[in-house]
Amino acid sequence: MKRPATLLVVALLLISFAVISYRVIWLKYPILPPAPAKVWQLSMEAHVKGGEKETSAMIGLPSARRGQLVAEERIHSGTLNFSLLREGANRIGVWSGAVGPKDEVIGYSATIQVKPPRPFKNRTPPLEPYPPNVEKKDQAFIRRLVAKWDPLPPADRLRRVAAAMRGFWGIPPPEDQDLQAWSAFHDKHGRMTAFLVLLRAAGLPAQRVEGLPLAESITGSTQTWIEVWTGQEWESVQPERGEIYQPPVPLLPLTTNGLPVIRVINGELSEVRWTLNRGIISQWRMQFDRIMHSDRLLDRWSLFRLPEEFQRTFRILILVPIGALMICLLRNIVGFPTFGVFLPVLMALAFRNTGLAYGLGIFWGVVLIGYVVRRWIDKLRLLLVPRLSVILTLVIVCITLFALLGNKLGLREFMAVGLLPFVILTMTIERFFVITEESGAREALRTAAGSAGVAVITYGILELGPLQLTFFVYPELLLAVAAVQVLLGRYTGYRLLELLRFRKFWRSS
Amino acid sequence: MILKPFRWLRDVGVLGMNRRNAEYILRFNPRSSFPLVDDKLKTKQLAEAYQIPTPPLYRVIKHHGEMARLEEMLGDYQDFVVKPARGTGGSGIVLVTGRTEGGFIKQSGEVIPMKDLAYHISDILSGIYSLEGLEDRAFLEALVHPDTAFDAVTYRGVPDIRIIVYRGVPVMSMVRLPTRVSDGKANLHRGAVGVGINMGNGTTLLGVYRSAIVTHHPDTKKPVAGIQVRHWESILLIAARAVDMINLDFLGVDLVIDRDRGPLLLELNARPGLQIQVANQAGLLKRLESVDKAPREIFATPEIRVAWVLETFATPVSS
Repeated sequence: MKRPATLLVVALLLISFAVISYRVIWLKYPILPPAPAKVWQLSMEAHVKGGEKETSAMIGLPSARRGQLVAEERIHSGTLNFSLLREGANRIGVWSGAVGPKDEVIGYSATIQVKPPRPFKNRTPPLEPYPPNVEKKDQAFIRRLVAKWDPLPPADRLRRVAAAMRGFWGIPPPEDQDLQAWSAFHDKHGRMTAFLVLLRAAGLPAQRVEGLPLAESITGSTQTWIEVWTGQEWESVQPERGEIYQPPVPLLPLTTNGLPVIRVINGELSEVRWTLNRGIISQWRMQFDRIMHSDRLLDRWSLFRLPEEFQRTFRILILVPIGALMICLLRNIVGFPTFGVFLPVLMALAFRNTGLAYGLGIFWGVVLIGYVVRRWIDKLRLLLVPRLSVILTLVIVCITLFALLGNKLGLREFMAVGLLPFVILTMTIERFFVITEESGAREALRTAAGSAGVAVITYGILELGPLQLTFFVYPELLLAVAAVQVLLGRYTGYRLLELLRFRKFWRSS
Repeated sequence: MILKPFRWLRDVGVLGMNRRNAEYILRFNPRSSFPLVDDKLKTKQLAEAYQIPTPPLYRVIKHHGEMARLEEMLGDYQDFVVKPARGTGGSGIVLVTGRTEGGFIKQSGEVIPMKDLAYHISDILSGIYSLEGLEDRAFLEALVHPDTAFDAVTYRGVPDIRIIVYRGVPVMSMVRLPTRVSDGKANLHRGAVGVGINMGNGTTLLGVYRSAIVTHHPDTKKPVAGIQVRHWESILLIAARAVDMINLDFLGVDLVIDRDRGPLLLELNARPGLQIQVANQAGLLKRLESVDKAPREIFATPEIRVAWVLETFATPVSS
């Protein structure tokens, strides 16, 4: 009797606990739902002016790279064709086609997630040759300027070069003629090239990067900066001031390796506008990403692998057993009556669309109207099935009227009533009537209050974000829920309300 | 401390709903036997096979087609009861106490024409009074003329006696007295008064009305205690024998006492209510446990079981 139930409970708890431990210890799942990460909403909009021939606008788009993830990309291309190109490490969006006399508006938007930097496995990039327009004799004296730093590790060499760009050449200072030559070179080729050449001379792989500063902004232009490989990672340098950015680097690269962000063939781009907005990513996406990129068995069988539109359903579905557990508690431990066994759970599900106050109001509104009509129908002495059909029809009519009323008043909640479980409503009206007839209005109202109470509690549980996430990440928790349900099934003690019912006995003992 | 009341109840031996369901109904009452008690007609036929007295059966109506011959079927029965076979909680029962030119006189004094009675029976056949809404059968049986002992504490209707029988041993009983509120019905949840009975000698104890303890009938204002239930031993014997005919070890047996015919078995209940404990001011659990502890010999025959009950469960004079 009692033993198999206990064994079952222990087994369920053990399995549940074992799978969770495996996930936490071996798969490194977080025990608590993780803190939300920062995301940025990037959008770009521009007008394309056409030329005589087919116009192509090539725009550098952000790509997934270290510490940065791109998702939810959307393209607006109007009548133009859109294609995506890869040029080295760059992603280039190409809008092409014949542009009429009127400008064509193109757009792009994406969600960019900035993640804490992780160990980055990247091969050391090759040291590129000097730019072709740098003469051999220039290379020679520039090489002399930096030669004394050769023994230093790359990160320190970068710092020396950056200081030199600010005018601090360190001790001992280079010879005057070299400095003069450098000054002339700097003026002739421009600061950016000079910087890159100096880095090249110091043996540091570097590239020109174009992108946006990561800040809430609306801007028409991009920025350029330099990224320098220092053996482990790319460091970003502000070329004008020669400053090295400290991580987290507040920059969003669009194109690297010297490629310009915007290139247009046969036409021009005007009113380019880049917008960046800060947002908080939902915790769902973060879990989603980590699990999508894993090939462990439990990760491959995770609910996160479901298509997203189904995930939403399962987030809720997986909490329904807790609602059932609440009903077990209320009925078997407290002893409070409810209409039907699972009516409150279905009500709670419906409340998710209508909201709690409206949902409860509408629900009991329909039941009350139904009750009045049911009383009156009783005189007609209809047979059971046709009678229930009449009430069902009435319920549908009520719901329809509510929806129409909602439309007039602009209340979405009233229109969402279609999702109330109408069959359950019908049975509730019938049960409400029967209980009123047989046991009086008080008992009926008590039952109604019990049902509404559980529905509200269940609704609260279903809407609990962290709980949803926890169960979604660890679906094996359902086994633990089942264990508690089995335990409740074996609870043979008194119900709380029985203390009241049998209160006459307390005194006698 | 919140747990204290739980201990008190346990000490008195009150049986709670959860324990009743898990430890007694689920354990002792096999599902397969339920149809026999849920259908009054089947119970009646079974009782007749075991020579347990029940109110005489007049007619069974199974199909709507038989309604055309209703007048002929009723013959010249002056008084009778119409019941749905699978009705619950006393619903759908009509007591006819006599006939007039206009039709039939109901218990309440109201006259219903033949046409309305036919309508009511066809309602029963359609399953309006059966809980699951299944098609049902209607039957006519003799009207019980209740024993006069309870006349003073009955407001219309017929009082009945509920006995809880555990493993063939009657363990607790009460008499259920109709009130004005209960509309002549003897069901506690409809507002009848339940009065506990001293198992040892068949005299009544205190009553429970709704959830309060009462000493007097709410309508007739007469005391409910100290009434001697007639035929007490044969009542207990019928209850004890009920288990022989059906495999239910936790059973509610409902009987009536007819003035002329004596105790008659009315129906059986596989899920007897727990309010009986309040009417008796005693816990069922204690009695069930003492049955479990009783020597094997006492279960041999219904007679021995009843003798054991009379000796064991005599309620001391209550305060």
